[in-house]
Amino acid sequence: MVSLEIGRVCLKIVGREAGKICTVVKKITEGKSKSQPFVLITGPKLLTDVKRRRCNIEHLEATQYTVSIKEDASDEEVIEAYKKAGLITKFNLKLPSAGEMKAEKTKVKEEKPKKEEKSKDKGKEDKKDKKKK
Amino acid sequence: MKKIKVRTPGGKLVIKRRKERPGVTLCAMCKEPLHGTKRRIPSKIKKISKTEKRPSRLYGGYLCAKCTKELVKEKARMI
Repeated sequence: MVSLEIGRVCLKIVGREAGKICTVVKKITEGKSKSQPFVLITGPKLLTDVKRRRCNIEHLEATQYTVSIKEDASDEEVIEAYKKAGLITKFNLKLPSAGEMKAEKTKVKEEKPKKEEKSKDKGKEDKKDKKKK
Repeated sequence: MKKIKVRTPGGKLVIKRRKERPGVTLCAMCKEPLHGTKRRIPSKIKKISKTEKRPSRLYGGYLCAKCTKELVKEKARMI
């Protein structure tokens, strides 16, 4: 098996993303993962529908191609690296439009504050008020 | 219901009805029973939602997980 260094282009073998192309962005070695090595991967999602997520090495199969990126590179940087390497025409991928790229950026910013607002205490308070009435 | 003709001890031909039970779906490569698929008659399988009929994986409902794994591995080496 080829070692999974940063920038290696892989195929996912297991799960709903099986058969889709992804790239290794970072190696994760913390705590339990030392015995069971994990890796951070992205499609990127706009290119190949693979979410940015932690992944077990056994669920990946390496291809012969690599992409030149830094460690922990953003999705836009990975897309540009794909263009330079000429892999988009090779795998018949669709480049995302500029509108989609903007929408993806705004999504990330909006999602984070929403999670903080939803606290468990609020739900409890509402139930108590209903009982009193 | 399935109709079956049975000859009784008195010499009569009687029609009996039995429930239909469709077989288990098998993997096309290794012929082992698949997980995540439902056994229903074709008329009743229409009423089930698409997500209940097969797992949402590549070749879901046709190949088992092990066989897809090996298929995709071969594909990765061919690319």
